Amino acid sequence: MDLKKLFLPILLVATAISCDVSDSDSDTDLETPATYEFTRNGESTVSFTGQTARIRMAMELNDAMMDFDNSTEELLLQMYRNQTADGGDANPFSESSLNEETKSVKEKVAASLDYFSSNTAVSAQIKSDFEVWISGQVNEVFPNENVLAEPGVAGQLADGATARFVNAKGLEYDQMVAKGLNGALMADQMLNNYLSVSVLDAGTNREDNDNGVLVDGTNYTTMEHKWDEAYGYVFGNAANTANPLPNLGEADDFLNKYLGRLIGDSDFEAIPQEIFDAFALGRAAIVAGEYEVRDQQAQIIREKISEMIAIRAVYYLQSGKNALGQESPDYGGAFHDLSEGFGFIYSLQFTRVPNTDQPYLTREEVEGFINQLTEGNGLWDIPLETLDQMSNEIASKFDFTVEEAAN
Amino acid sequence: MKKIVLLLLSSLILWGCSDSGPSGSETEDFDRQAILENWADNIILPAFESFAAETENLKTAANEFSATPNEQTLTDLREQWLISYKSWQHVSMFEMGRAMDLRYRDNMNLYPVNSDQILENIEEGSYNFELPSQNSSQGFPALDYMLYGLGEDDASVLEFYTIDENSEAHRTYVSDLATRIDSLTGQVLEFWQNGFRDEFVNDSGNGANSSLNMMVNDYIFYYEKALRAGKIGIPAGVFSGSPLSDRVEGFYSRDFSKELFMEALDASQNFFNGTHFGSEQNGESLRSYLEFLETTKNGESLAVLINGQFENARQEAENLNSNLAEQVETNNTQMLTTYDRLQQNVVFLKVDMLQALNISVDYVDADGD
Repeated sequence: MDLKKLFLPILLVATAISCDVSDSDSDTDLETPATYEFTRNGESTVSFTGQTARIRMAMELNDAMMDFDNSTEELLLQMYRNQTADGGDANPFSESSLNEETKSVKEKVAASLDYFSSNTAVSAQIKSDFEVWISGQVNEVFPNENVLAEPGVAGQLADGATARFVNAKGLEYDQMVAKGLNGALMADQMLNNYLSVSVLDAGTNREDNDNGVLVDGTNYTTMEHKWDEAYGYVFGNAANTANPLPNLGEADDFLNKYLGRLIGDSDFEAIPQEIFDAFALGRAAIVAGEYEVRDQQAQIIREKISEMIAIRAVYYLQSGKNALGQESPDYGGAFHDLSEGFGFIYSLQFTRVPNTDQPYLTREEVEGFINQLTEGNGLWDIPLETLDQMSNEIASKFDFTVEEAAN
Repeated sequence: MKKIVLLLLSSLILWGCSDSGPSGSETEDFDRQAILENWADNIILPAFESFAAETENLKTAANEFSATPNEQTLTDLREQWLISYKSWQHVSMFEMGRAMDLRYRDNMNLYPVNSDQILENIEEGSYNFELPSQNSSQGFPALDYMLYGLGEDDASVLEFYTIDENSEAHRTYVSDLATRIDSLTGQVLEFWQNGFRDEFVNDSGNGANSSLNMMVNDYIFYYEKALRAGKIGIPAGVFSGSPLSDRVEGFYSRDFSKELFMEALDASQNFFNGTHFGSEQNGESLRSYLEFLETTKNGESLAVLINGQFENARQEAENLNSNLAEQVETNNTQMLTTYDRLQQNVVFLKVDMLQALNISVDYVDADGD
């Protein structure tokens, strides 16, 4: 922790130096804006309505997954697709503006340009994983609402005074969907699409941005908008989107929430500010036409968001291990942790190592973990050593230890 | 985990700046088995025997009310409910063995009640009380609702059992609730009587899973979560920012929340002192263990400090309204002050005492989602 604190200023200084050196044709000394507010001719240029909408759709889906009395398979799938089964217009949401959207969660799952534009078979597989989990909730778990779960039997388990609802392997489908979307929707779109040079600099984006050419009917350039769309997937549902950190964790059930969990954790508490600053500075760099600065910030965001997902994965694996390792195992508590862990592990395949085209853990590695978690009776007979092995393997790819993540 | 680290850290700090370090005697020299015997034979078993007798009376009163619901049987049942509920406060902390497997406390006394679920159960006429989702539709809080919460006054409550179109289902539900309370209690008592007493007493080592370590952890967990937070802190809004008057114990009967708390406070202090159930006599206990170790904090005996703090909390609580829901709505400061007094003993018990006894905390707060 102390080392990191020492290291940070050095990093910042190094960053600052490298900007000055590389930025030969500009004498702008960019400062990191304190808030995410950018204007042109007195009007805001910031827009990420599509991201806010998808976050809210996903939140409604989360809630509906646990609404045993009112949800049907058809309704839940419509929430995921925002369409009927045969592609017609659907109105599954309680918030009417979401029903009017043509956007959907599903269309942006595993849909980044960098990872999936020429990998559509895998993309389709991932999109369908979520549908399998959604259907499983209705077809396997709902009918066993009033059954006590046991190995091979879906039903409920006590987690303290709370009832958890698991499938026959002890996994909560709702957690798999909710936590899986952190990676498959939010991180993938952010890290592998909107922050990518391939997207930011597509077509005439640079030229247009340099010349202030605006998207028709808007006050922003395409490049500005792409960057904002990345920002929207972590801060887009905040009460104050320009200054979201004071209420970090309250905006959604996804990246914002789990970024909030790092606050107060002395090992990682700097990460939220680092991510926000990188977004703000990167956006200022776009306005200033300083694209190297922009890309450096994108790398910081890739690293930190990826790290956050991995920290949560290890945290839940270790919590689950501890709950199972007690003299009388707390199955309900452990399975809840491990179901959340499942979603974050699944999300790891969408992470991004800075300055590469690679995730920190490949899809094959993630599938290996998932197979271990679901083998046989699944969580009911997962060996504690396996949970440790997974934790170690994940942590080894990052700059943190299992112990730091677990506390 | 973070809590543990913090705790260790704060223990270190405390250790560094006070004189609560190891004194003349070592924890190994103390006869732990004598404590375990006193707990089992003079506190736990007698408390469960007494409680089990009361739950049987409760079942009888509930059956009589169900057979003949009238003013008199309702009054009798309410009286027995309160007697049993107070008796419960003396066993709630012993959540180990069979009680732990049954999740006894969550089945007996989880509040606030889920009144919608209760009404749905009555409507449908079938329910499985073993399901975790039924925790808050059974136990003492559910009876509180059924005996006081269905109507504005006694007459309107009685109507649900007499002229209501579903009156029979209401009567059955009351009987079923009392039967469940009695049967769970019977199982726990039987477990202690049939072998667990000896197992408990003979496991007198000092490992993490030894009887003493487990019991002390259960005790402090109870004190922190069920007594301090559940009965006082949560209704006072300590964890939510604003008072939540409907979270008090015995919400519907209104007048007993303070009485139930006081009973639990007595039980907690008695356990610390090894006071025999139903008597004034003290036996081997956490207190005598600390005295043996001559543990001090800032020059004062830790055992004396802990008892003093129990007394502080009691004195503060004496000033509370008998209806704690009313208390938090009219003068929550009094409630918060009581909480603060209780909290001070968490530090003494969980940090100072555990350090002196060389026991680690075996529970952590969940991350809340």
